[in-house]
Amino acid sequence: MSLFTDDVVTFKSVLRLAYNFLAGREYLKKKKFKDRRKLIAVALPFSDLVYSAGGVPVFPIRMEKFNINAYLAALNSATNLFGWDLTTKLLTFVRQFDVLKILDNVLDDVIHTINHKYNELYELGIENGISSDFCYGITSLTGMFISKGKNLDANINYTIRCSAWNKYSESIKKYVPKEIWVDIPPRDMGNAVELLSENIKAAIGELEEVTGNLVTDNSLNKQFRIGNQVKRFYKTILYEFSASDFYPCNPATFAEILALLGLSFQDYNSNAQRYLENISYLVKEMRKRIEKSIGMDVKGMPRIMITPVFGGWEPETHEILYRLGARTIYADWELLGMLEEINVSKNSDPIEEYAKYLLNAMMKGVGCDQEALTDSYIKTAKDLNVDGLVFNQVFGCHSISNCYSLLRKKIRKKLEIPTTVINFNKIGENVEQVKTRLGALVEMFR
Amino acid sequence: MKSLELLSEYSNYLEEQKLEGKKIIAFMSHDSIPEELIDAAGFIPLRLIFAGNDDLMNASHDYLPPSTCSFAQSCIGYFARKPNLYKFLELVDYILLSNHCVSDICVSEIISDNFNVERLNLYVPYTRNESAIKYYKIELENLRKELENIIGHEIPDQKIKESIDKYNLFKKKLAEIEKLEISGSQKLEIFQKAILFGPKILNEIEKLIQKNREITSNDSQTESNNKKVIFTGCSIFLGDYLMDLIEESGGEIVFFNTWIGHNYISQIYSDKILNSTDDPIDLFLYRFKTNIYGDHSVPDSLDNEISYLETFINEYQKENGEKLAVINHVIKFCDHFSLFQSTLKERLQNKGIQVLNLERDYSRANRGQLSTRIEAFMEMI
Repeated sequence: MSLFTDDVVTFKSVLRLAYNFLAGREYLKKKKFKDRRKLIAVALPFSDLVYSAGGVPVFPIRMEKFNINAYLAALNSATNLFGWDLTTKLLTFVRQFDVLKILDNVLDDVIHTINHKYNELYELGIENGISSDFCYGITSLTGMFISKGKNLDANINYTIRCSAWNKYSESIKKYVPKEIWVDIPPRDMGNAVELLSENIKAAIGELEEVTGNLVTDNSLNKQFRIGNQVKRFYKTILYEFSASDFYPCNPATFAEILALLGLSFQDYNSNAQRYLENISYLVKEMRKRIEKSIGMDVKGMPRIMITPVFGGWEPETHEILYRLGARTIYADWELLGMLEEINVSKNSDPIEEYAKYLLNAMMKGVGCDQEALTDSYIKTAKDLNVDGLVFNQVFGCHSISNCYSLLRKKIRKKLEIPTTVINFNKIGENVEQVKTRLGALVEMFR
Repeated sequence: MKSLELLSEYSNYLEEQKLEGKKIIAFMSHDSIPEELIDAAGFIPLRLIFAGNDDLMNASHDYLPPSTCSFAQSCIGYFARKPNLYKFLELVDYILLSNHCVSDICVSEIISDNFNVERLNLYVPYTRNESAIKYYKIELENLRKELENIIGHEIPDQKIKESIDKYNLFKKKLAEIEKLEISGSQKLEIFQKAILFGPKILNEIEKLIQKNREITSNDSQTESNNKKVIFTGCSIFLGDYLMDLIEESGGEIVFFNTWIGHNYISQIYSDKILNSTDDPIDLFLYRFKTNIYGDHSVPDSLDNEISYLETFINEYQKENGEKLAVINHVIKFCDHFSLFQSTLKERLQNKGIQVLNLERDYSRANRGQLSTRIEAFMEMI
């Protein structure tokens, strides 16, 4: 819950990010029917090639109609009339008379709306034969394709170490007109970079066929530059602001922003340039607020990293931690190596550099084995200098959830910070356990 | 009872081999491990093909969450508990980690880290395109080097080739077992033994085939009233009671479309292919490339499987006048077969083929429920 609503309604960049995420349906319709652009589904942060090919990447939940649309439509009209600057000023003014407290729940509503939709799509996946033994992420993603796959022009899949993910990717081909694959070699051995480059070239060829556009070194580098800048801003938020003793907003709101970034980073809300502008503005706004002492003194509040959350987590978590007097950090993409930059220097080969980026993420972040994966957890926790770590063990996840036993040992040996595990199956199902476990964890800081 | 005898015999065999100075490389069973390379290097390849139970699964929970594939849980359980009949697992020198599925990676790592077993690695790409084949070659050469480092000398191509020939001949003989008029449980016992012992039991297999042919030619054919089915999905591992349940319920498995069964046996090289190259690695690559039914690969594994089952069922019907039904065995939390089970059923049923999706773990409590489901299916056929 965004307890400091003043922060949110004046947080223009956050409102924009939230709006662009939730209003995806209308935006994508326009792109598809008016601009004749091709919609290509992505999941996990793998949208760069699609942008380079002039396609519109879409994390498929964004094709859904969200319940919050009425409010957002009004917001959209206002911004069309007055622009974002005036609209946010207007919102600040209106808030004084907001007897229904609609604005109090802006960001909270956004996160809850997304999560409500996630649950809905999870159920759709189950109704269509996905075993409830599969993880929340895969089941809800399948639901997304069942629901809206027919509106897509293609889907791009990247093979990763998770066998359920690879099989899920195969399984959704019945819902989309075309599947494009990038097979990432499991390890960086021999000429793996060269082989992956070949696979990337093949995928580019297929993207060109779908979009009718030519992918050039320039179009790739242009996109990688945008991506690199986004990643830099993302890292600033993670490393600079999240470590600060003064937050530009309430820590629960800050966690919600991180959650929103985690979700929207997958497809840059279908418009990379706009996303870059938003995240750049977000950083500026945060900095300005801190300078002006707008926000909250969080000194003494332990910083807890909760991970992994990209496959589903209990969104009440950061609120519970806030009430217990702690701050929440969501940093999955950093941990998985997805926030590393792609080399765009003058004489570099963009395809090869992209291959190196992917292989690096597979070797160090996603991890070809548990040792590498848990090392990545330790490194990120160290780099972010967090005070505690909560491992979100997702039911049915056989790739990451399996590493907790090893991770716990490593944390004890190498980090010596408090840690606990919370179990997740579906949003809203396990809130009591989360409260108990987090309560016990925070006690350790007192 | 037979599995007890087999395990005891296998235990003695491994002990003998160890006394002779041989080392054992264990791995979770699947089709991209070049067992011929392991054999040529002088190691004993030990496929972990042992079914689990409650105790074994529980023993894994210090390392893995319970929402892990029951077979993977049990593999850890065997190393954690070392039950009497499986004492031979103490003889294992190396575990070969592969990525057939992610549980294969996790389990192999856990066994290596916690039970004093050294680790080797062989990662397999997910597609079978040209780059994937080249990558698989890198992994094979790396494994070969790792093995050579252990034994302290090179493994000559000729030796690998001989081993490939040996296994090839062995698989050709096993393919004859598929066609014998013996019960499904008998076939399964032979397949399980074959996968454990390898070509060492070639003579035994030949004798069995000969003996069976004599019996068949002397006896008049008797029609069985049992319901004939294809068994697909996850393999039936050694010590599992599932086969008993199927036969007690009046079912007769005429074809094992599983790794312990046709998927293994069918990986045979023709003479033309065998003679086409002097480089044994090329033969492994050929096998990888043509293994379109392996469940590890994407993106067409399900389509290929469905098409194969349909063809087999149609041909069987033409030859025997009977339409086969399908039992799709899914070990709980198996990434590969669990996700596809509803689609497989739907698509086969649309072609008029009856399918039972049998999802289960290794707990004893499941036995009654499984039995009821199988009986109901047999009645329905």
